[in-house]
Amino acid sequence: MTDAFWWLLLWGVVAGLDLVSLGQVMIGRPLVAGTVAGLLAGDAAAGAIVGVTLELFALDLLPVGGARYPDYGPAAVAGVATAAGVPGVLGLGPAIAVALVVGCLGEEAMQIVRRGNSADVRRNRAGLDAGDLVCIRRVHLRGMGRDAARALVMTLLGLALAAVVRRWLPLSLRGTVLVGTVAVGVALAVAATGALRLSGRGAARVWLAAGLVVGAAWVVAR
Amino acid sequence: MLATWVRTLIVQASWNYDRMVGLGVAYAMEPLLRDLPGGTTNSRYTAALKRVAGFFNAHPYLTGMAAGALARVEHDGVPEPQADRLRRALIGPLGSVGDQLIWAGWLPLSVAVGLIVAVLASVPAGVVSFLVLYNLVHFGLRTWGLAAGWRAGIGIAGELAGRMVHAGLRFAAAAAPFAVGAAIPLVASWLLEEFGASERVGAAVVGALGLVLTRVLVPTLSGVRLGLLFVVTAVVAGWLWQ
Repeated sequence: MTDAFWWLLLWGVVAGLDLVSLGQVMIGRPLVAGTVAGLLAGDAAAGAIVGVTLELFALDLLPVGGARYPDYGPAAVAGVATAAGVPGVLGLGPAIAVALVVGCLGEEAMQIVRRGNSADVRRNRAGLDAGDLVCIRRVHLRGMGRDAARALVMTLLGLALAAVVRRWLPLSLRGTVLVGTVAVGVALAVAATGALRLSGRGAARVWLAAGLVVGAAWVVAR
Repeated sequence: MLATWVRTLIVQASWNYDRMVGLGVAYAMEPLLRDLPGGTTNSRYTAALKRVAGFFNAHPYLTGMAAGALARVEHDGVPEPQADRLRRALIGPLGSVGDQLIWAGWLPLSVAVGLIVAVLASVPAGVVSFLVLYNLVHFGLRTWGLAAGWRAGIGIAGELAGRMVHAGLRFAAAAAPFAVGAAIPLVASWLLEEFGASERVGAAVVGALGLVLTRVLVPTLSGVRLGLLFVVTAVVAGWLWQ
């Protein structure tokens, strides 16, 4: 195991915890998690492109309370571990494939954690309903332990998947470019869907259209 | 007050389907109850923890506001049925204001600004601008909410209906879609810079197809699942296309 592996593992756990349990300062957003993972893996460019692409996927959903949403923190770390050291954009497609699998599994794992927390609450109902601080603290902090374990498992799984894909994914150069092209295209579709959902049907839709015009004009002017 | 503020940072640690953030808010509020006459032996101390550790939900950044207000009513000696009504009444507004202001407003706005800076300047600069911009409001809201709740107690509704909150909601509702709209073409152009002309056309076709799928054919399909569907199909196609 290299130093980079341990740093990526630690970073994946921190980014995973940020999703719900700890702080929510948004270091688990793929733009941040991916960029930092790139620095840790020694390939800042891979971290940047994977982070930006995954951020488009993350624009799809608003992380409201009980909603189910993918965990893009460990996913971004796994994606960057897949793409690190691969020249140009050739690593992007496989990286996004790995990240989406990990993000999806992270979403399922979060449900397991929440169900575990519910079971813990039911087991300790007597103490909680008596207003026992020790019981409240114990159940509460055990929830964080569960989430840390989830983030650890997701990151480990992601790094293992990244190693497998790097070693055995049977893609030619043409195939790799194809996967990268599709990954960017679908990321843009997801971001556009998220933007339309965000803007609803009222005046916000006009603001969205105005933003698109300004952005497009900026691209043309560059 | 500081201990409560710090504890609100982990308010969702035990998020569950039975009580949502009830345990987290009770745990965060507890330091504010220690000053009750008689301290932790006061019957209101235990009764308040018991009440709040039941079902409670709010936007995580505004849980400090709930903790402050609910602790203040205990200090003010507000009758327990009234304190419980306040707890129930806070659930809806603290959830919807926070969701509109942060999740549907400030977060997408900050992300979009971060992405724009990332593609126009550098990705690390984009990351820093996103984190700074987002967390200025994030931590400001947490701090203001806790102080306002502690100050207002039973009159917390007046704080939530204040001009600052309304102005924030109006600004976020317009600025977030505008910024996201501006970011998408810029990011698309940046990502496709290293691809050839045929790949750019391909990405546009995939994007259009994906948009039709999510908007028209299968609106319930989440972004991550749509992505998986397309990317795994591309991996199989790429594997066959040797």
